[in-house]
Amino acid sequence: MEELAPRTEDEVRAHLAAGKLVEGLQHMSPEYLKGIRRILTVSADTELVSAPAYLRAAAHAPALNNFGSAVSIIQDELAHAHIGYRLLGDLGVDMPALIYEREPNAFKYPYAFDVPLDSWYELVLANALYDQAGFVLLSDVHQSSTFGPWKRALAKVDKEETFHLRHGRTWVKKFAADPDHKVKLQASLDWMFILTLEWFGLPDERKKHGIQLEYGFKGKSNDELRQDWMGHVVPFVEEVGLHVPAHFDEQTQRYVIDCPFPQQFDSEKKAWGGTEISWDDVLVRWKARGPMNETYVARLQKGYRG
Amino acid sequence: MIWEVFARKAYEDPLHHVGTVTESDEDLALVSARSIYDEQPWIHMIIVPREAIREAIKP
Repeated sequence: MEELAPRTEDEVRAHLAAGKLVEGLQHMSPEYLKGIRRILTVSADTELVSAPAYLRAAAHAPALNNFGSAVSIIQDELAHAHIGYRLLGDLGVDMPALIYEREPNAFKYPYAFDVPLDSWYELVLANALYDQAGFVLLSDVHQSSTFGPWKRALAKVDKEETFHLRHGRTWVKKFAADPDHKVKLQASLDWMFILTLEWFGLPDERKKHGIQLEYGFKGKSNDELRQDWMGHVVPFVEEVGLHVPAHFDEQTQRYVIDCPFPQQFDSEKKAWGGTEISWDDVLVRWKARGPMNETYVARLQKGYRG
Repeated sequence: MIWEVFARKAYEDPLHHVGTVTESDEDLALVSARSIYDEQPWIHMIIVPREAIREAIKP
């Protein structure tokens, strides 16, 4: 890292304090490089693994043109992943090795994608919930990132994620208006909502963001981002007559989660156990990865390994 | 080999940087650029080998 990133930590701080963006390795210190590589890897891995996850669910498309929309979303996700990986390539990472030679459990994406999406209901909910989470996280990066090449590239991502969200919301609205569809939609929402709450990571009291915020890899803390996400999702699902275990508290002006959280999860049954667990328990589940991790990574790496 | 990709979607627009492609030869780089950066109805796209770029003013 030292040879690649020539600046000292103090020089990076001075550069940022002067209102400049970091444009490449020449402006980075080892700590900056380490941090920006980490967040770019998480972002690119998340976009990449969404492709096999969505493709699996797209098989349930009600008609060919709906399948076409799903595939076009998947194509966007691959292009977003490419942005992250090509920037990592510029930061001295061996891009093909990173994508094609890593072990499945070394990929860094939210646990939610390790749980299979098994219906068109779950695909469109993923668009409405997971893509909303991605949108909240990337909008924050777009606004706050101090890494110029990424900040500029995200203009395109923002625009396309809006389309994914609209796709999800349009279908959710349509299904929620029909009593039979609504029951199935609610059943999927029950496991997917809480799993997306986990997407934003450990609560602020458990996670020290120090350098992530100081160096401007992101602008908001995990809990602030979780709040942002609920601010988009909760009013929408209520509007279409669905239910989620969260509400807006007028007094504190914050969303409150109305169920044990974090909670024990059965990934095979895709069901919450109702028992509150510790974040340490959640970390154990995340680290072990979920049911689809190996299948999805094998699918992504298949052509390369021959 | 890394190629920088520039494009524009209107006649009054200047070319602007849209990303990079990594390909061993020019023909593959042209195909990659067109297929990877197809998110807009571009009217013009060019690719430039990164090694041909010289910075007159550095950021």
